[in-house]
Amino acid sequence: MKNNPVYKRERMVRARSFRIPLIIFAFNGILALAALLNMYQTVAQVRLSSTIQYGSFLQLYAFVATLEFLLLMFIMPALTSGSISGERERQTLELLFTTKMSPKDIILGKLFSAVEQLLVLVVSSLPVVLLTFVYGSVDFMDLCLLLVCFVTVAFFTGGIGILFSALIRKSTFSNVCTYGVLLLIVVGTYMLNIFMLNMNELQINNMIMQFGETRPVADTGFAVYLLLLNPVATFAEILGNQVSGGAGSLSISSFFGSDINGFLARYWIPISLLVQMAVSVMMIGGAVYALNPVKNEKK
Amino acid sequence: MLKIRGLKKKFKNFQALNGLDMEIEEGALYGFVGPNGAGKTTAIRIITGLLLPDEGTVEIGGKDALRYREEVKDDFGYVPDEFGMYDNLKVWEYMEFFASCYGYSGLVARERCTELLKQVKLDDRADAFVDSLSRGMKQRLCLARALIHDPKLLVLDEPTSGMDPRTRMEFKELLKELCAEGKTILVSSHILSELSQMCTDIGIIDAGKIVLSGNMTEILQKVNDSNPLLIKVYEHREAAIKMLRQDPAVKTIAIREDDIAVRFHGGHEAEADLLRKLVTAGIPVSGFIREQGDLESIFMQITNHDKGKVVLTSEE
Repeated sequence: MKNNPVYKRERMVRARSFRIPLIIFAFNGILALAALLNMYQTVAQVRLSSTIQYGSFLQLYAFVATLEFLLLMFIMPALTSGSISGERERQTLELLFTTKMSPKDIILGKLFSAVEQLLVLVVSSLPVVLLTFVYGSVDFMDLCLLLVCFVTVAFFTGGIGILFSALIRKSTFSNVCTYGVLLLIVVGTYMLNIFMLNMNELQINNMIMQFGETRPVADTGFAVYLLLLNPVATFAEILGNQVSGGAGSLSISSFFGSDINGFLARYWIPISLLVQMAVSVMMIGGAVYALNPVKNEKK
Repeated sequence: MLKIRGLKKKFKNFQALNGLDMEIEEGALYGFVGPNGAGKTTAIRIITGLLLPDEGTVEIGGKDALRYREEVKDDFGYVPDEFGMYDNLKVWEYMEFFASCYGYSGLVARERCTELLKQVKLDDRADAFVDSLSRGMKQRLCLARALIHDPKLLVLDEPTSGMDPRTRMEFKELLKELCAEGKTILVSSHILSELSQMCTDIGIIDAGKIVLSGNMTEILQKVNDSNPLLIKVYEHREAAIKMLRQDPAVKTIAIREDDIAVRFHGGHEAEADLLRKLVTAGIPVSGFIREQGDLESIFMQITNHDKGKVVLTSEE
């Protein structure tokens, strides 16, 4: 990738801009202030009551993780959805096609530079996240899993953005479509599952009233599989396992009904991460196909 | 260098190219002329691999450009009608970026960029941002960019549109220089006068096919030969007209202010003979010249679908 001209150009232009250092400074500054205040409060509490609330550090961890996750999920599409259509609007895309650059090189150059841009932000904030290590309860493997989730969501949302950017000529419309689809995946799958759960509960209650059967646990049926595509569901499961409360309240366990100990429920996190990665690869492949200037024509 | 045979391309109900045949010899500066919608840009997009034709073949340097699309990319450089600039790059960065797109890096790329920027007279602006350049400078930079991989064929789509006359003139000189260096250049334009001044060959496209092509000098000669002789006599005009009427090579005679416009079918020798006869007969001839033909008139004749073609065909 380091030899990809598009990737190198994006990096060079970004490195010249004052925006990224400023964002990193502001982001980490806020996080550091929150962490220091948190630590001060904990120490003050120890002085006063001789008790220490380790939970506050976990809350800080959950806060930083959630902030970074949201940042990745909502900024990645903005960075990628205009990347190819922007080249098209500048009339530079056709010039690239006449060079030795392949559509794959162009797509990967754009995507990786965007992913790198946000991962720099994530990595730069690691010291604040790692403050939790001072008091324990979150270990190194937990942190690794969180980073895998971040990389996955970066490629997943970036993949949606770059696919629409390759498909749609105008950046504005591409942006709208990207966020529309992301919203559909994030909110739509949750809403569908809640709807299916309620319907199933109604059906069960009806059956109990009619036939007096023993009450089975309601589930959402096939709709739960759609949640495999939802990065928020995955993140909520990861955080829910590491820190109780917070994003964990978005847990999907209630959607499984009696199948709570089934294979999918037990291995939800790795399966969903794999599914999202696979879908990301498909979207990137789709973008490469869409970008080929002579794809739909036959000689 | 470039050979096109039977190129056809249809967009929904519009036949953009309808059996285009074209051949450009190595080292030629070929003017590709046609009215708007004639199919110039479509043909250029097919040549540069941005579009596939419905039928036909394109050969660049003897290679099938439609089949070996990637291989022929080394053989041509493309300058589109819109420049395609990265405004946030400096001039040398822009050049080096495109050099790396062709696989050049390090010292080789740097030296090539420096050399080309010097050639297009932008070496003193190498550290300037692209968006600070004037339109003419951007066009020159775009030309340098297209030359970065030292292609044999340069394809330019309406390169001088929107330029002031001075910039246009400088650009034409640059193209002539490149042609003298051995590059084959295909330049499309609808401004005929500028093509007639610089091109060695010309192809006129209309309704998706070439209606006239060949060497520029020969074509202009052909047009000149069909133009009237303008004879100016100091006195004895009536006697001169009477004498001209008797010459079998004289087809028509018309009076244009001080001149006698004679449609004369004959070569240079016959012209000289006519002049000698007039002078020997004691007619004081103060002017004797063939009216100069221009490309505009051919273009207007050919692309005027009713009568234009007929006139030219009969002359040929």
